[in-house]
Amino acid sequence: MDALKSFIDLFADPRLFFLITLAALVLIVWKREAFVSNRWGWGLMAFLTVFFGFGLTDENFNLIITKPDNVPIVGLIFLLVFFTWFSMRQAVDNDRRAAAGRPSIEKDEEDRVWTWPDLVYTELISMVVCTVILIVWSIGLEAPLEQPANNANTPNPSKAPWYFLGLQEMLVYFDPWLAGVVLPSLIIVGLMAIPYIDKNPKGNGYYTFNERRVEITLFLFGFVVLWSSLIVLGTFLRGPNWNFFGPFEYWDIHKLEALTNVQLSEYIWVRGFGMALPENWFVREIFGILLTIGYIAVLPVALAKKGLTRYYEKLGPARYYVTVLLFLSMLSLPVKMLTRWVFDLKYVVSIPEFFFNI
Amino acid sequence: MADKRAVGHAYNIDFLNVVFAASSLFVLFSTMWMVWDDYDREWKNHQRDFSLLQLEVTRAGLAQAERDVDRARVAELEAQRAAAEQQLAANAAQVTELEDQLADVNRQLFVATQNFNFTKAVYDVDRYSFEVRRDEAHAGDHGEGEAEVEIAGRDEVTALYDRWLAEGLEVERLTAERDAIRGRIAEFTAEVDAVTDELAALTGEADRLRGLVTDLAPSLIDDYLLNAPLLDFMAPTLTVRQTITPNIVDDVNFIRVPKMDRCQTCHLAIDLAGYEDYPQPFRTHPNLETYVGSASPHPVETTGCTVCHEGMGQSISFVDAAHSPSTPEQMAEWEERYDWEESHLWDYPMLPTGMAEASCAKCHREEVFIPEADNLNLGYGMYERAGCYACHKTVGFEDLRKPGPNLTRVGSKLDEEWVARWIRDPRAVKASTWMPKVWYNSNTSTPEDAVRSEVEIDAVVAYLFANSEEHEPAIGFPGRGNAENGQRIFESVGCLGCHIAGGESREAAGPRRTFGQPLQAIGDKTSYVWLFDWIRNPRHYSPETFMPDLRLNDFEVADVATYLMGLTGGGGTEAGATYEPADVDEALLSYLRAIVPFEEAQATIAAMSPEERQLDLGRRAIGRYGCYSCHEIAGFEDVQPIGTELSQEGSKLLPQFDFAFIHAEEVPHTKRDWINQKLLDPRIYDRGRILQPLEKLRMPDFGFSAAEARLLTTAVLSFQREVQPRVSQVQRSARKDAIIDGRNLVRRRNCIACHEIEGDGGDYRELVEDSSLAPPLLTPEGAKVKPDWLYAFLRGPITIRPWLEVRMPTFGLDDAHWNGVLDYFAALSDTVGPFRTHERVADAGTLETGEELFDLLRCQQCHVLDTIPEDQDVANLAPDLRMTAERLQPDWILDWLIRPLDIQPGTRMPTFWTEYPGSFYPQFDQDADAQIQSIRDYLLTFSGGPSPLQGN
Repeated sequence: MDALKSFIDLFADPRLFFLITLAALVLIVWKREAFVSNRWGWGLMAFLTVFFGFGLTDENFNLIITKPDNVPIVGLIFLLVFFTWFSMRQAVDNDRRAAAGRPSIEKDEEDRVWTWPDLVYTELISMVVCTVILIVWSIGLEAPLEQPANNANTPNPSKAPWYFLGLQEMLVYFDPWLAGVVLPSLIIVGLMAIPYIDKNPKGNGYYTFNERRVEITLFLFGFVVLWSSLIVLGTFLRGPNWNFFGPFEYWDIHKLEALTNVQLSEYIWVRGFGMALPENWFVREIFGILLTIGYIAVLPVALAKKGLTRYYEKLGPARYYVTVLLFLSMLSLPVKMLTRWVFDLKYVVSIPEFFFNI
Repeated sequence: MADKRAVGHAYNIDFLNVVFAASSLFVLFSTMWMVWDDYDREWKNHQRDFSLLQLEVTRAGLAQAERDVDRARVAELEAQRAAAEQQLAANAAQVTELEDQLADVNRQLFVATQNFNFTKAVYDVDRYSFEVRRDEAHAGDHGEGEAEVEIAGRDEVTALYDRWLAEGLEVERLTAERDAIRGRIAEFTAEVDAVTDELAALTGEADRLRGLVTDLAPSLIDDYLLNAPLLDFMAPTLTVRQTITPNIVDDVNFIRVPKMDRCQTCHLAIDLAGYEDYPQPFRTHPNLETYVGSASPHPVETTGCTVCHEGMGQSISFVDAAHSPSTPEQMAEWEERYDWEESHLWDYPMLPTGMAEASCAKCHREEVFIPEADNLNLGYGMYERAGCYACHKTVGFEDLRKPGPNLTRVGSKLDEEWVARWIRDPRAVKASTWMPKVWYNSNTSTPEDAVRSEVEIDAVVAYLFANSEEHEPAIGFPGRGNAENGQRIFESVGCLGCHIAGGESREAAGPRRTFGQPLQAIGDKTSYVWLFDWIRNPRHYSPETFMPDLRLNDFEVADVATYLMGLTGGGGTEAGATYEPADVDEALLSYLRAIVPFEEAQATIAAMSPEERQLDLGRRAIGRYGCYSCHEIAGFEDVQPIGTELSQEGSKLLPQFDFAFIHAEEVPHTKRDWINQKLLDPRIYDRGRILQPLEKLRMPDFGFSAAEARLLTTAVLSFQREVQPRVSQVQRSARKDAIIDGRNLVRRRNCIACHEIEGDGGDYRELVEDSSLAPPLLTPEGAKVKPDWLYAFLRGPITIRPWLEVRMPTFGLDDAHWNGVLDYFAALSDTVGPFRTHERVADAGTLETGEELFDLLRCQQCHVLDTIPEDQDVANLAPDLRMTAERLQPDWILDWLIRPLDIQPGTRMPTFWTEYPGSFYPQFDQDADAQIQSIRDYLLTFSGGPSPLQGN
């Protein structure tokens, strides 16, 4: 039993965790025909139930998942898995119908029903059931109160509200101005921009995958892998001092992690050229700066010429550049994660002279 | 039904009906559950239990009160009342007529009073509206001299006022008339009323309790209806009882808010006498005179509970209120009964029983020693005696002397071999010493550590002796004395006030009687010459010593020194390892590496001779372990102490305490347990860690017992940051300052080892067989003796009671200190200032009567008057009365004669005027005051007794 727990702890390492969720996404998209079967749907639910049921028997994991703040997140995991599976199933179903030359489910089923009683009655029942759930929940789980707040004694770990834990996770890899200001703004602006960028009418009002492969895959990557799984990671796997802890590991406040990260400039100047770091910050960071400019300015142009030419032509320059810029900034997170894990890279550009890091 | 589906229904409506019905039932049940969950509170059960207990206790009280009633007298009074009522009945016609008149007048008075009030109301309205109109008319006026504008309505206002006055007169007339009629009725009923009043006085207590029993008895409405779920918002009898204290606050970090203590919700009998023996939560506070009681200095209405006891006052749940168990057994019991766990909702959990005195210092922060806080004062005494303040800076304990002996002349007193054994394990040499063990502790117990320990011990010893100055004893070759006589002197003159010599443990003797070094095994420690020199005059060796002079002559000194030289034993511990010179180099290198680069460190060592290396290591080891914090050591005059400041240790939060690898099963993870464990084993938090020698914890081990550690933990927890507002703290005044300084002085000079002052101390009394042979209580000293006499006495004590063996020593303090003592006693008795007149108006007749009474009361049977009374038990002897005029305050003598036992409990002085102000004696028409004065005046005529004033 302990061996199993250690095994799971091992797989919950943020690197493996990220790669596993990424692999799961690839599998879902690739093997979607199999994924949408009832067997898989039930199987996933059963797996989650067994996993959390098993988790309850462990002293440490039990503390985390039964903490009143975290209980809803356990529920959200079930909902997320269910709705991903369900929408994928609808999409696959419609794709099969389209292949067979039949109309989509939405068009096919003329199940228009009465407002009363069908809609209003079920809404009323839903309200009553929700009320019951809320009452029982509020009796069963007491409010997670703590001692009076004290600015001399911050809680450890200090966690953001659950919906911001993905952002907080980004702080591990990015400077606060990027993780806390630039990227969140881009997320909001980017979400608002989607209707203006995406003028493709396919998929409006019905589920489909084949007609929107790239868009749905990108969305699932951004939402499930980058956003939701990082929330799960932040909730269950980040402990005191924001150190990583496996689900069955004791949250030891004294646990240490060797911080051996290195700046890009140090890699190039000291290790690459075998010389001291230049005094002048601009010279010192020139490679990082060039790399960054290359990533956000040169790469989109190059991609327009070769690789994404089809999109460039379809969207036009303005839409194309906005889309690619948003896409690249989303991708900057996994890129930064990978470079951190593989090369221990701390910052690409690091100018402590005026608190600027990328 | 099936056709409904056909016309476009998504669901089967019948099925939906069932679902709806079921979900409605669920919502009903969950709502009922919610109401019940909200209703069902543990405190309500406590209140129900208590009302039953209270009923039982009150019934018992009622039964007792009824037994106490004087039945015969009640029967007699009831007969009297019957007779009086009969008489009243004879005049029934007249009384009835008067009562009719009274009813009529009362009716008129009611109407007149109502008219009077209504007129006043109308008048006020009209007057104000007139004033407003007039103000508006004059709105444009800016100065004086503008013509008055005529405003309509003035006459009406005046008329209303006149009417109101007239109605007032009518009310007064009717009131007088009513009182007259009442008076006439009372004439008839006077006798009945008088008897009834007397009856009520007799049975009053029983009647009151009977009423209470009726109130407390279970009733359907009070106990069930008013407290029913959902109805209990109106007027429940089960209620949360809280005290809000405007001047005692909770610091919730961003703001300070008045405390809201709800402890009495369950602790219902805390302020009720009579529940002392019932189990918690229904037990009376153990000290109602000082706490909780409304007449005490800390009434619960203004002080609350949690300012002393800590814990979360707002909470009405056992666990959330942060109750703290005082023993592991209690913890187990609570876990069983209440699902107890350490509360994480509040930073300051309740202090366990016996440690609440740690909170006194919150408001008594201006004082160090606090009256009645005996545990805390003992803890502070220990804190000073163990010398905690020397390493740990602490507010209130600054500028004290170094607690250990001066080591700058150690070479003339001790030899190296003994010192090495001593510091290797002081308690192996003298079991009761306060000197802590610096080496061979729990984090330095391996064989490798032993090598390093021996290297450091030898280096420290070498440094001390290399830096020791010469000391020339006053008498080079003193002769030996008689050990037996020496023991007698040692055990009787008062040495035992500060020193223990036998097998007594430090815990049993306490910090006061171990104020001086324990003298166990002193014969193996030092030389006869040194000891003789020290006892003869301690200041000769150590000018700053606190050891006083007991005025022994050189023969007595020789006797005592000879006796002490005979106290041998305590061989100490052998070295735990041997070492090579290379080990010295290695140890020195580790010290140097911490401050200079490796090459430089090596070069420095290479340049030194082996002796220099050892001395340098010794200096660095003394610096690291902080020996110089407690001892004067040459070369460390201006070095700062090594410990963490503890001034606010009690306010530190739990996360700031590092338990390292000590798990909660072994030491509960609470602040008090951390401190307690640190005291019991100062190095324990190094356990399980890999540490280089200089990374290890270095607090030495004092070998505290569990009780000592608990007292010290209380003391450390009392060091808190200032939270309570100034208005709640002890207010300063000249008198208060004198008391505070004096209290510190009598403790820091250990006066209270022998003398009981303010109810504290007097440990020496336990060593004498009769308390009248012990050093006197000094609380009333300021009122008792004249300041100039006391000053002279303190500077040069004289023998007041020659039959006492214990002596007042000569302390050799300066005038500033003695004035502090005088001010302290004066402030205690509230007799500040030296000059008080006493006009003696004694004429010859008075003095004659005084002498007569003096003989009658046989004062000389016990009191010395030049000659010591013969055939009298020494315990009964009393001071020479010839000192009276010079020594005693005349007013105090009067007080003393009236109530000697109140002033000095346990005194042998008889109380002659037990019936004061009455008297058994015929003189002055049995006027006690006049008799006492005459004795006093007669006493004041004596002179020629022993006096400290002569020759000062």
